[in-house]
Amino acid sequence: MPNLLTTTNLSRSYQGTQVVVPIDLQLMRGDILGLLGPNGAGKSTIMRMLSGDLAPSHGKIEICGYDLIAQSKHAKQQIGYLPERPPLHRDQSVDEFLSDCARLRDLTRAETRQARLLTKTRCGLEQSGRRLIRKLSKGYQQRVGLAQAIIHNPRIIILDEPTDGLDPAQIRQVRELIRELSNERGVILSSHILPEIQATCNRVVILQQGKTVYAGDITPPEQACYRLGLEQNPDEALITALPAVAATERLHTDYYRITLQVGSRPNELVQQILNQGWGVCELTPDTTSLEQLFLQATTGPSQ
Amino acid sequence: MSGYLAWIEWRRLMRTPLAWTMLGLGLCLLSWQFLGTLEIFNGMQPASRSLGLSHHLGLQLFGLAAVLILIITPILTTRSFSDAFRNGSYALLSSAPLSNITILLGKFVGILLFQLLFVLMPLILSLSLFSGTQLDVGLLLAATLGLLLLSASFTAIGLYFSVQNENPGIAAAGSYGLLLLISLLDQNTEGGSFIHWLAWPSHYLDLQLGLVHISDLAYFLLVILFFLGLALHQLDKRRIQG
Repeated sequence: MPNLLTTTNLSRSYQGTQVVVPIDLQLMRGDILGLLGPNGAGKSTIMRMLSGDLAPSHGKIEICGYDLIAQSKHAKQQIGYLPERPPLHRDQSVDEFLSDCARLRDLTRAETRQARLLTKTRCGLEQSGRRLIRKLSKGYQQRVGLAQAIIHNPRIIILDEPTDGLDPAQIRQVRELIRELSNERGVILSSHILPEIQATCNRVVILQQGKTVYAGDITPPEQACYRLGLEQNPDEALITALPAVAATERLHTDYYRITLQVGSRPNELVQQILNQGWGVCELTPDTTSLEQLFLQATTGPSQ
Repeated sequence: MSGYLAWIEWRRLMRTPLAWTMLGLGLCLLSWQFLGTLEIFNGMQPASRSLGLSHHLGLQLFGLAAVLILIITPILTTRSFSDAFRNGSYALLSSAPLSNITILLGKFVGILLFQLLFVLMPLILSLSLFSGTQLDVGLLLAATLGLLLLSASFTAIGLYFSVQNENPGIAAAGSYGLLLLISLLDQNTEGGSFIHWLAWPSHYLDLQLGLVHISDLAYFLLVILFFLGLALHQLDKRRIQG
């Protein structure tokens, strides 16, 4: 299957300082690629280059076989872009704004009407069509921003921190929407929030000061991690001494992060703790794999 | 595509109170000037009337209209790029399949469509006298053409400053500065000199009096092309420099 998006040696410098060190990205149909990194790692710069807003200093971006610079018209037809700040015309109504966006991307009048209806349903804006954008709450404005990015049915969707400023329920809706969209398309999203990437993406690129420090799948940890709450307060060394436990870390009073020995199962752990008479009050899976990856990558020797 | 963008820009502008305030105030001021001109002309002894009513209207009414256009243009042009850069809505255009020249022309024509309403006001006011007196329609049309060219030139200058600055205040100040400068360059300079030629009032005056010279038309077209060219260059540079 051909790639939807390929970048080769893509780099960018501002006045002599390199903010993005040459990076190669590939995006295929069905992919949700996460760009993860601390603030200022170059995520937004990469996104702006992919959207055609910013020209790269070096390297090439190919979108569905079209070069983004040389054949920009064809290439941009395939892109939907939601920047960090949703690009909205605040003095227009939602319907008007979305129609304009669709028409600017060469949809005909009839197509526009259909696309607007579908997009509004997808983004939960059915009731807001006639409202002025500036009167909408931040969450709804973000939805309009998202609607603007998908209305012309692009094959690549570029979302810069799409869930920023949303409440938990809205975040879930957006995640579901992204998953739904990725069925027949490719999605790139950026975030500095780990759980965000973990919950949505199937591949991740971790950036640190413009450098790619990790690129690949979000792998499940070889050893299972659990968050453990005890009624009593034993020393970490005592817990580590249990046969099922490989490592213990005290999170705060009464809570520990337990890494199990390879092959051990949680019920063995509970059994052993109960045998000691410490009393379990909480045991939850601790999905820190990406966090570990991220911390290793951004603070490790590769820096 | 430029045409559609222009239509969008115009429609967006007409949704703002700013546009209607400008049109309302403009119409009030122009009507006042129109009535004043009529009254003065009426009060003159027929023998002392060296110029016809159309000439008076051309000078007084179209003169004021030019000043009004000078005042409103930077406000309009600042909105189109500076504001869009600042509030992030420019990404909508830069990520759409539109070339820089399409975007620039779309915005240019969009503003011009609004200014056309202004440009037509003096003409319509003057033509309202049609049933009562003999008007020099040719002169009025020439003056209207002059006003249109003037609007287009001011818009091109304003757009150049708007593209150059993300700060709307600086963009507006820059446009006002240059517009006032080229309004005053013909004061205290020699008649035939290049600097004198750079000022717009003398070129506009010919058209106000109904004289359509190719050289005046060329002046306005050159100004428009020069500043649109600079603005386009700046837009391209922006994509490269970020």
